[in-house]
Amino acid sequence: MRLEYFQMVDRITSLDVPGGKITTACLVPEQSPVFEGHFPGYPILPGVLLIETMAQTGGWLVLATQRCAKMPFLMQVEKAKMRAFVSPGQPLEVEATLLHEGSGYAVVKASIVSGGKKVTEADIRYGVVPFPNETLQAAMLETARRVGLPEEFCNGA
Amino acid sequence: MLVPPDFLRDWRMASTYETVSGIISDTCDIEADKITPDSHAINDLGIDSLDFLDVAFAIDKAFGIKMPLEQWTADVNAGTVTTDEYFVLKNLCANIDKLVAAKA
Repeated sequence: MRLEYFQMVDRITSLDVPGGKITTACLVPEQSPVFEGHFPGYPILPGVLLIETMAQTGGWLVLATQRCAKMPFLMQVEKAKMRAFVSPGQPLEVEATLLHEGSGYAVVKASIVSGGKKVTEADIRYGVVPFPNETLQAAMLETARRVGLPEEFCNGA
Repeated sequence: MLVPPDFLRDWRMASTYETVSGIISDTCDIEADKITPDSHAINDLGIDSLDFLDVAFAIDKAFGIKMPLEQWTADVNAGTVTTDEYFVLKNLCANIDKLVAAKA
């Protein structure tokens, strides 16, 4: 994870597009300016970044279903629960399941487990729209390859 | 046939309308008596795009369909239809009935 660049997902560990499931691995960095403020003397990963991590994981699932031809933008988060603190250096296993693929929107249920314990969960909705420009599309394709999205799901762009 | 076709159509329409108006009332926190078949979801009921996403999700789930919102938006933007076709509730319900019938 590179928190300052909002690169939350390190790699995709499993992907089942027909079954609507994805898992990703994310390692919380030991050092980050984020921890200087959150909190002084007691560094924990902000809850909003846990939500972002789930949103990006579900986002990769939606991107895969769209073969990277459309971009999911976060629109709504429901039932988000922060069940445990997450500390620097902690590995996270993130899971997302597609609940519904609508026309122009998608709904996933996501959760994060660390050390065998669920630390957070949420229901997440995205607006799924054509890429607003080529720069973002190219950046997403580059990131897709970095996190290990199989090439067959990158070819719709 | 025990049930005349017109009656069957009216009954089905009422059922769809009741489901849709109930979804809108619950999802958007609008009092049920302010919603009518002639209400325009945006112009009369003030439902914004984010709330309409909730409504669309609930309708898709309730009827087991996928409302073609992207196509509807393209139609409106192209000027081939007005928003009344998709956002006045009686018209929305008729479109839902068509999608349900097409699925069967």
